[in-house]
Amino acid sequence: MSKASVFYDRFERHSHGEGLKGHATHYCPGCGHGLAHKFLADAIDDLGIQDRTVAVSPVGCSVFLYYYFDVGNTQAAHGRAPAVALGHKFANPESVVVSYQGDGDLASIGLAETVATAQLGAPITVIFINNAIYGMTGGQMAPTTLMGQTSSTSPAGRNEYMGQPLKMAEMIAGLDGPVYVERVALYDAKQRIKAKKAIQKALKLQMEGKGYSFIEVLAECPTHLKMNPEDTEKWVKECMEPVYPLGVKKDLTVDPWFKRNPPSFDGKKLLNLAGATSEQPERFCQGFPNQVAPHDVSLKLAGSGGDGAQTAAMLIARAAITEGFDATHIPSYGPESRGGTSYADVHVAEEEVLNPGSPTPDILIAFNAPSLAKFGPTVKKGGTVIYDSSVVSDAPALDPSVKLVPVPFTGIATDLGKAVVKNIVALGALQAATGLFPKETFLTSIRQALKDKCALIPLNEEAFAWGIKAVESLGE
Amino acid sequence: MALKERPKPFLLPEYCKGCGRCLDACVKDCITMSDQINPLTGLVPVDLDLTNCNACGLCMDACPEPYGLRPAHEGEIQDFELEDPAKLFGVRPSDAPEPVDLPSEVLPLPRTEPLVIKGTYASALGALLAGCRHVYGYPITPSTEGAELMAKFLPKLDGTFIQAVSEVATVNMMYGTAGAGLPCMTFTSSPGFSLMLEGVSYMIGAELPGVFVDVMRGGPGLGNIAPEQSDIKLACHGLGHGNTQAITLAPSTPQEMLDLTMLAFELSFKYRNPVIILGDGYLGQMTGKVQLPETLIKPGIPKWAVYGDAMHRKNVITSIFLTESDLEAHNEHLNRKYAAMQVEVRSESYLCDDAEVLLVACNTPARTAKGAVQELRHRGVKAGLFRPITLWPFPVEALVAAMKGVQRIVVVEASAGQLEDEMRLALSKAGVRAFPEFESVRRMGGILPQQDEITAQVLGRKEVRA
Repeated sequence: MSKASVFYDRFERHSHGEGLKGHATHYCPGCGHGLAHKFLADAIDDLGIQDRTVAVSPVGCSVFLYYYFDVGNTQAAHGRAPAVALGHKFANPESVVVSYQGDGDLASIGLAETVATAQLGAPITVIFINNAIYGMTGGQMAPTTLMGQTSSTSPAGRNEYMGQPLKMAEMIAGLDGPVYVERVALYDAKQRIKAKKAIQKALKLQMEGKGYSFIEVLAECPTHLKMNPEDTEKWVKECMEPVYPLGVKKDLTVDPWFKRNPPSFDGKKLLNLAGATSEQPERFCQGFPNQVAPHDVSLKLAGSGGDGAQTAAMLIARAAITEGFDATHIPSYGPESRGGTSYADVHVAEEEVLNPGSPTPDILIAFNAPSLAKFGPTVKKGGTVIYDSSVVSDAPALDPSVKLVPVPFTGIATDLGKAVVKNIVALGALQAATGLFPKETFLTSIRQALKDKCALIPLNEEAFAWGIKAVESLGE
Repeated sequence: MALKERPKPFLLPEYCKGCGRCLDACVKDCITMSDQINPLTGLVPVDLDLTNCNACGLCMDACPEPYGLRPAHEGEIQDFELEDPAKLFGVRPSDAPEPVDLPSEVLPLPRTEPLVIKGTYASALGALLAGCRHVYGYPITPSTEGAELMAKFLPKLDGTFIQAVSEVATVNMMYGTAGAGLPCMTFTSSPGFSLMLEGVSYMIGAELPGVFVDVMRGGPGLGNIAPEQSDIKLACHGLGHGNTQAITLAPSTPQEMLDLTMLAFELSFKYRNPVIILGDGYLGQMTGKVQLPETLIKPGIPKWAVYGDAMHRKNVITSIFLTESDLEAHNEHLNRKYAAMQVEVRSESYLCDDAEVLLVACNTPARTAKGAVQELRHRGVKAGLFRPITLWPFPVEALVAAMKGVQRIVVVEASAGQLEDEMRLALSKAGVRAFPEFESVRRMGGILPQQDEITAQVLGRKEVRA
């Protein structure tokens, strides 16, 4: 039997397989890529994984890997092969994904993807061809170019201003993600046997779901090192190897861990996650609260982070939609993660909210003095301003048509033992002062929101009732 | 059992590049460089004299060419046809089959009560309902809630969410999953979208589906995290390098965030091309009423995928076409797809039939403009709103219809005229030359046009600023 049947019978993708190109690679004479290709093909063949293999070949001389390998092939952007490989692996965890990359690709432009993917540790196999030079673009300095080595972009030799050669195998072995890292070479028969074994082992670890493996191959580029193939082999041995010592850099014994179930398309499960239910909610409204504003009520809730303005806004929006109206809620915050300003624009519309912003609200709920000062004057004529009289001592002078409703949100909530329910006190005040929705509508919305924290429901109901009472007592 | 004799090497001189790596490998000195140039290759191959060969095989392991030094078969025919290597190199383990489409399934869902959720959540649910179980992303305000919801839900659906090392890695993970033929998506915002564009170009070149939800924010540079319609130009005319186009959808409500995300997956597989959803920061954060559909998609695997199984082995995903005529043909093929996408135009015309003043807006500014239309109508001005839902392809026929009888056109947008440029280009390409001079209401920097600014423009007061 012939070996390496994983190669196509004919390289149709290589210049349409015309003439000799149908059976010859595009690599220069003596190039190390061809050997690495053969060893990879042998390993795929020996392990019987031709059908499952996806080979990812990014930019570099080996971008044309898909000319040769009769496996699933994906060609990737420069440096991005590990990310593409992950995309394949997670799409089909049964596939065996090989990311075949050169030094510029893996150690320069794609360094972030290289390190992140290695550390992620998902079982893919990275074959890293390190020949200390850029091949495809024509002999420029690589991240792995040796000190003193000349290239077209280090014409006098790489010096300290150009940085030091990157030792990728050691770097990758230093990460927690990989299970197997080895550096091999191709310069003599002994090294070639080791290289072959390492590639096979790396693929096997992936097949077994044990983890990420990385094989660095010190390879020859006679063309751009400007030597004949024999001298290049010698150069790799004598010059490269001392900088890039061969051998196993990491070899963990681990149990197979990468096991993934097929994705679920269970509709019930998805609806549960989304919190969607077919149960019709109880409705209490007799009609749209046109007494507040015809067809569309615009509210603004303003305070500091932690006042609960957004939660209250959400409860109003939910209540409206439960009642069959349309509603929107837009939050806006200051840049602080905690304690900055926190504003909410809410609309409740009979049919459709046309404009969801509330630059001139019908109702303002202000949780502090700056919010009241800022938005009080924007309230529409005949509108309502409800504010926390526990923290606002002097209300600003507003249009006389605007109804001012001072309610001690904080005071009541503190008396109830939980300052955080002041927003629910505010909702009670809103209900009593405007009649936006019936009490039961709000209470249903509150209970629904707390359905996973039932113990808090009585306290919130009480806060709501006190908010109503506070407004009623104003009228007395 | 008799030991089988190891095969000796064999070489077609035409497949030898004469690198000489086998010379060192042979301890019996069976291999020498030829003294003649092979006329077919112009190279000097090696000569084999196998008198002393002990079939150690090391020369074959040293040869970098797949069809170079090979084990000779028993009874090898030595006068072969160059064009028939199959005969020469033995039987293949299996031939790759011709792949077929494994179709998607549409599964029924019970009717549910409307949800009250944010725009980004609605989009995420739309993606899950469309069968997407692979989401990659990098956190960026104001789009992150979408990714957060996916990070919470997908593990429960045995799906995959990976927080990538960057937006660049994100789009390339999508390239991989899309290459495997499965639906995938990301949430991002303007600076992140910029970073993804190289990958979008690759996806378009390699004809891969994928959905990008770009919740646009203020720019340029870091700008801020408030809403702007800053990426219309990028999505419609700047999707990375080369001849790229993608259907670009502009939702204006949380409900549309869900509906258009579902549509985006359908279109992206229909055309094997990415689809862009441009939201704005307001819409991403806005909570509203969202009705779920009564179906759920279970995706199949298209025949072109590289899934990593026997059925799809012969496929390749690539955007390289080295031969110029091949690349030109590929671009012509892409152009035919772009032409076919023109039927996907979508728009809404609101009170346009008798309109004398036509407002044009998309995303959240379109809702504000709708409010303005209503107010203007109350004041006796016959105003209407044209809202493009696809920004590319631009619904120019519907625009022309809405423009009929109109005396004034006011473009309302949160950008320096990116929507207006799309209109101008579309009208110009459609050969429409006669239309009223465009007026505009533009805000930038994270400020959306307000209703009073729109009405003031229409009613003749040019400048009203908050």
